[in-house]
Amino acid sequence: MVYGVLRLINFANSEVFMLGTFATIITSKNIFGYADDAEPLTGIKLVYTLLACMLASMLVCAITGVLVEIIAYRRLRKTGSNRLTTLISAIGVSIVISEAVRIFTSSAPANNPRLLDKIYLISYMGTEFYIGSVRIPISAFEVRLDTLVVIVFAILLLISVDRFVKHSRLGKGIRAVSMSEQNSQLMGVNLNKVISSTFFIAGLMTGAASFFYITVYESTKFNVGFELGLAAFTAAVLGGIGNIRGAFFGGIALGVLEIYAATIFGTQWKAVTAFVVLVLVLLFKPNGLFGESLQQARV
Amino acid sequence: MKKILELKGVTMQFGGVTALDDVNLHVNEGEILALIGPNGAGKTTVFNVVTGVYKVTKGDIVFNGEISVVGKKRWQITEAGIARTFQNVRLFGEMTALENVITAGDVRSKSGFVGSLFGLPRSRREEKANKEKAMELLKFMGIDHVAHKLGRNLPYGDQRRLEIARALGTQPKLLLLDEPAAGFNPSEKVALAETIKKIRDAGYTILLIEHDMSLIMGISDRVVVLDFGSKIADDSPKVVQNDPRVIEAYLGVPADAS
Amino acid sequence: MTFNLRDKGAELWEKSPKPARVAIASSAMIFAICLPFLGGTFLNTPISSYEAVLVYPVGLFVLMALGLNIVVGKSGLLDLGYVAFFAIGAYTMAILGTTTSLNFWQILPIGIGLAMLSGVILGLPTLRLRGDYLAIVTLGFGEIVRIVALNTMSIGGPNGIANIPTPPKFLSLEYTLQNQKAYYWTVLFLIFMVIWMIRRLSSRRPGRAWESIRQDEDVADLMGVRILKYKIWAFAIGAAIAGAGGVVFASKSMFVAPEMFTLNTSILILACVVFGGMGNIWGVITGAAILAYLPERIRFISDARLLIFGLVLVIMMNVRADGILPRKKREKSLQS
Repeated sequence: MVYGVLRLINFANSEVFMLGTFATIITSKNIFGYADDAEPLTGIKLVYTLLACMLASMLVCAITGVLVEIIAYRRLRKTGSNRLTTLISAIGVSIVISEAVRIFTSSAPANNPRLLDKIYLISYMGTEFYIGSVRIPISAFEVRLDTLVVIVFAILLLISVDRFVKHSRLGKGIRAVSMSEQNSQLMGVNLNKVISSTFFIAGLMTGAASFFYITVYESTKFNVGFELGLAAFTAAVLGGIGNIRGAFFGGIALGVLEIYAATIFGTQWKAVTAFVVLVLVLLFKPNGLFGESLQQARV
Repeated sequence: MKKILELKGVTMQFGGVTALDDVNLHVNEGEILALIGPNGAGKTTVFNVVTGVYKVTKGDIVFNGEISVVGKKRWQITEAGIARTFQNVRLFGEMTALENVITAGDVRSKSGFVGSLFGLPRSRREEKANKEKAMELLKFMGIDHVAHKLGRNLPYGDQRRLEIARALGTQPKLLLLDEPAAGFNPSEKVALAETIKKIRDAGYTILLIEHDMSLIMGISDRVVVLDFGSKIADDSPKVVQNDPRVIEAYLGVPADAS
Repeated sequence: MTFNLRDKGAELWEKSPKPARVAIASSAMIFAICLPFLGGTFLNTPISSYEAVLVYPVGLFVLMALGLNIVVGKSGLLDLGYVAFFAIGAYTMAILGTTTSLNFWQILPIGIGLAMLSGVILGLPTLRLRGDYLAIVTLGFGEIVRIVALNTMSIGGPNGIANIPTPPKFLSLEYTLQNQKAYYWTVLFLIFMVIWMIRRLSSRRPGRAWESIRQDEDVADLMGVRILKYKIWAFAIGAAIAGAGGVVFASKSMFVAPEMFTLNTSILILACVVFGGMGNIWGVITGAAILAYLPERIRFISDARLLIFGLVLVIMMNVRADGILPRKKREKSLQS
């Protein structure tokens, strides 16, 4: 989204994500007071605790996102700096945030108490059966509560954002700016407000993502942003950058690819998968599956 | 008369938009041909397909009777002998005027990276020759007094002239000028008209896009009119001026409606 | 009117007649050569050996910053994976040094060649990409090189390669762990060569090509500039320089491991270029020297070094995007 509006790859977003993961942990541990080995919650308590954590992450990320924009990008945008300058500024912000957290946490990981229990709802060990002499295997298959919750929420969130961008006034403003900054200003769009809103919404989504991440993986560190940020960017490019629905499909595609690669080559090559996919996509199909072309000469 | 440029059945489509629709036109060697038409008619698109910025959807573009431009790389087209200026001035702002022209002249140099690095004789010869030629071109366009000023510090008129000098630096046979008089006051336009004639007299062929009718009528040998991507007229200035279809295209009403 | 150090310096240089210029250049060179002897002064570094610091990070960062400057500063190509070429040079020295009987001087050109080749391999498919995307792809390349080194056990895996031989005695100069002066002068020699090369190229066709590519690539293309060719040359030369640095580094440290060649280093070198003044040789040298030296000199900076780098990047870009010694801005007469 930020790219669509500003033509800027927000390097700092990975660090915003990382902050979100810490926000969830701080909320569940410090505000609600759950210890590392607390019992999982059930019922209404579960729901409001989780919601509180998610909201905390979303707010932290959204506010940080907007602050980053104001501090690091706005001035450059006003003076019409070229993309190189803005990109370097983004990298700088990313480094500052991750280093600040590193120093603050002394590079130690932080853990989230297991509030949402990892119950297996459906567990299927795998079997095979024969049709005549043809063997049809059905491999192991399981549905876990926490991953299910995450997936459901993620889909709900995506649908809401998609509708928002399409139908709301602010959403239209965002789309207008992404098509033409100048024209939208002529039409009365408040540029600063739109851009701040874009960062805010992007932050909300990043916050939700960080909450989902922590709920499932339960551990975070100052450097968790980098690899995930890269994966996120790859997914966006794969789906066609600037396009929200594309990003969704890109994310799924990338996830599947990574797991296959890990299975075939071994898990230590998982990190490379994202990079390789990214490089290949950019080289051969820079539009991604749905997005705009990156290569048009401007004459 | 030799046709230095010929567009044969050129169609240019961008997604759902047809910018050029089966356009057939030619430029004769040594002439000044004006390309006019209302905004959005496709004039700059013609420049863009001729210089290789876009690849035509259909049709062919033949340069000098022998080379097809379609599918060639942009630098190859420049090397073949086509050069252009731009609607909005696009100089290398952080280079001096002289450097702008020398850079354009590099397309004619044979020496490469290694030659430049080790100062091989051919490289040094070409550097010197290139610099002298560039200086001459600046003089020719009347801007040698700002040779060492940075492109972006030049006054507007000099910038426009520098763009032309730079295009000439590539030693083209065909020069494409995209609205060279934009932003000029009447006396500057007169001076520009003289300059364009001077360029033609020096042996170049010129294809120019312009909106100023008196400028065009004064110097063009022929005028081609585009409207909505199609050619609607192709004749001498006087004839085109009185062509009812041309008038309608510009004014939106038939000439005899009142 | 802000005081522009670079322009004042340039003015001074141009006003001076030839003998004065020779004198200035020579004294600067002599000063640089004598630096290792100033270890007893206020320049001394508290944590590591002063001489060792001069070689790495100061000398090698200056060298690499010059290389990266050609790619980023002159040509406008954002390379975030520059450390990969440094790594390739270092591993070449490590592998050939420990498995063959070739010495440092014989391996140096091989390391440079391999790094250059990688630069071309990386460049060919990627140089059609614009700005941000080139940055991401180069970043990916840098990381891929590191991860491959990490996972490939035949070149040491995470443990790296040890016992890399030091260079043989050169005209009575010994390369030892205790006395790093010889290493420093080798690096300095490389730096002098690179400066000569860059100045040569800048005033000729390659320099103009790079500048035009940076300023307006599409127009340069239409003016007949061979964009692809010169972009690849920029990458290749930048890579070669980093590769040379890598070879020296490996023979000095006598040990290489993947964790020495991280994305952080690429960013650090970029910070040097940006801080010093993109496109300007002297700015880049000054910037690299300062940014490499200060953390070693002032203790408290060292731990937060990366944080400060990040801040430097953000502040510099927002306040003075051209760096402390910006690229030429005023008109100067073209005398070569």
